[in-house]
Amino acid sequence: MEQDSHNETERRKQLVALMTQHQRRIFSYIYTLVPDRYDAEDLLQETSVIICEKFDDFRPGTDFVAWACQIAYWRIRYSRQKFARSKVIYQQELVDALAQTAATMHEELDHRHEALAHCLQKLPLRDRELVLTRYEPGSGVPEAARRSGRSLEAAYKALARIRKLLFDCVSHQLASESLT
Amino acid sequence: MNLADNEILELNELCNALVDGTLTDAQKTRLTQWLAASEPARQYYIRAMGLSSSLCSYASEMQVEAPDAVPATRILRLSFGSWLGLLSAAACVVLALYIVSRHPGREPGAPNPQPGEYVARLTGSKDCRWAHPAPSARPDNYIRKGETLELAAGFAEVTFDCGAQVVLEGPASLSLNSAWDATLLRGTLKASVPTEAMGFRVSNPSVQVVDLGTVFTMIADGTGAADVLVLKGMVETSSHDSTGQRTVVLHENQSRHFAMSGMSKVNDSREKFAHVAQPVPLDHFSTVTKYVHWSFDEAGGDVLKADAFGAPQSAFDARLYELSDTVLETVRPEGRWGRGLRFNGHLYAKAPFSGLSANSPHTVAFWVKVPEDVHLSSAYAMVAWSANSQKLGSHPVHIGWNRNPTEGTIGVLRTDYGGGFAMGATPLRDGRWHHVAVVFVPDENEDATVEVKQYVDGRFEGEGKPSPPGTEVSEKFREQNASTIGDTIWLGCRIGNNGPRRDRFRGEMDELCIADHALAPQQIVALMKDNSPPAAEFATARK
Repeated sequence: MEQDSHNETERRKQLVALMTQHQRRIFSYIYTLVPDRYDAEDLLQETSVIICEKFDDFRPGTDFVAWACQIAYWRIRYSRQKFARSKVIYQQELVDALAQTAATMHEELDHRHEALAHCLQKLPLRDRELVLTRYEPGSGVPEAARRSGRSLEAAYKALARIRKLLFDCVSHQLASESLT
Repeated sequence: MNLADNEILELNELCNALVDGTLTDAQKTRLTQWLAASEPARQYYIRAMGLSSSLCSYASEMQVEAPDAVPATRILRLSFGSWLGLLSAAACVVLALYIVSRHPGREPGAPNPQPGEYVARLTGSKDCRWAHPAPSARPDNYIRKGETLELAAGFAEVTFDCGAQVVLEGPASLSLNSAWDATLLRGTLKASVPTEAMGFRVSNPSVQVVDLGTVFTMIADGTGAADVLVLKGMVETSSHDSTGQRTVVLHENQSRHFAMSGMSKVNDSREKFAHVAQPVPLDHFSTVTKYVHWSFDEAGGDVLKADAFGAPQSAFDARLYELSDTVLETVRPEGRWGRGLRFNGHLYAKAPFSGLSANSPHTVAFWVKVPEDVHLSSAYAMVAWSANSQKLGSHPVHIGWNRNPTEGTIGVLRTDYGGGFAMGATPLRDGRWHHVAVVFVPDENEDATVEVKQYVDGRFEGEGKPSPPGTEVSEKFREQNASTIGDTIWLGCRIGNNGPRRDRFRGEMDELCIADHALAPQQIVALMKDNSPPAAEFATARK
């Protein structure tokens, strides 16, 4: 009895550790298929509950992210059927195609995430503040525009420019690393 | 094959528009077709979305690390009920923190939270028994976006913010997607949709019904199939079945059965029509609403008499300022009902209004006529007051028309409050009378924001969320305005820390009314059509 309780505690610790480590990857997967931050966050939360419930089915040593993304995929599919036109804006065939491509890019996306931290540091302070304000939880372009003293239109343009700079910087850094 | 440079530029632009929520229908079509056809496009898209996802992550981390970040303990109670039974307390804290880093946008007080706003009210019932979970027992029975009502038995009436009224017959399950949109998962629904709510939608896995001004019924069997019966007017149905998508308009007394296998006749349609045509004697929830009303019907002078649609309310009488003798006779033009009040770019008015600056639900309604050729410099508040509460902060509330083209269409109704704003859709700057109503609904949660809902000519348009209060400037303002300009309603001017600023509204106003409740859409329409106390009419109609 005591041993069962100990095992259960260990499993919970393992679940928490895995979720803490990989939640960003699972969110990124969902956000690719459901490109609205708040809908993606809702789906992440729903997925997390199912992961908790089904954690006994997960075999330690196998790929947790792949297993969790499969659960997320089915949750998105369910959401599409249940809510018809809300949340999932893509047709199921496109969701499937994107999910298939995304499944092959987990490792690359991890590298890109790490490279982005360096690229953010290279940005001029004003640009860095704008883009991070834009992505702050609960914020958005109007709030970023307001705080930076830009007009809304100027903020949209600046954000598009900064994202392209960051995208190219990340790609360049990964290419440089692969050469060394 | 790799993408060409011009393709990268175009795809990048589409991804930017998608992330920022500015994607047009044409762009969406272009993007989805491209992604469906091209693996390199999908890879680029996934990298671009990954970039935004990573930025969300870095920005969240920075905000959590910030010294003035919202304490996690305030957030934990919001969204983690379902986790509590799953894990031990220690594990829960860690997992909850993990979700906090993803979900701080849900924190009450945060600017512009996307989900969870009130979209409807539970307004009536009969022998009603709720399955778990029952709707929250909130004041006035508000229901949030995303909630699913599970009715085990009996009848329940839901009034959407757009004005559509739906009577559910249990057992039934209805998800509320927005103020204009619901999904019937199972059970029977009867929707009565006034003209102002035309466009209200009810969907089911096999069909979406768009109302074209009507009364209709949907009966969902819980497996994805549904019957649609039109009792009055007509609806547009879009079916999603194995043969593709089809749109059919159904007229009065017509019906169809929709399933994944296709569209067919309704079995026992005569019996079903007879059943749903039976009126259901619902018990309605009603509240006593108090009104203060200014008719502006005085022949002259600088006092605007207040009443409660009949009985004088002299404590609320308003006074005109910056009124010269030369313009005295021109400020009382013919109004929408009797005389009105003309704001000439100099004139303003104010009246004491006890409690207006505090937290409370209320509705401000009036008629307004804005000249076609009026300048942007005359766009300032038609109605204003200084808020001074935890929910609205110490920012003034201004109801006017939008003069900022980067934030919305010029000339539409705009309500600024608590650092945020709500934006309408109907241009007011056309020299015609429009009825305006702005409803303020504080959340039952002490820390949560106030919701603002705008109605123009009885139609629901535009709602917004405020930014969180509490900046140093606003705190100073809070202390100062409590004793100087608080609990006062201002007409025709923008207000600052010490009173009216030089910015004025130019146009005409009539039949200003302030209710101490968040009026229902039908009450607003009644007020607009009859210029009579909607509470009395509403109560009479409901007996």
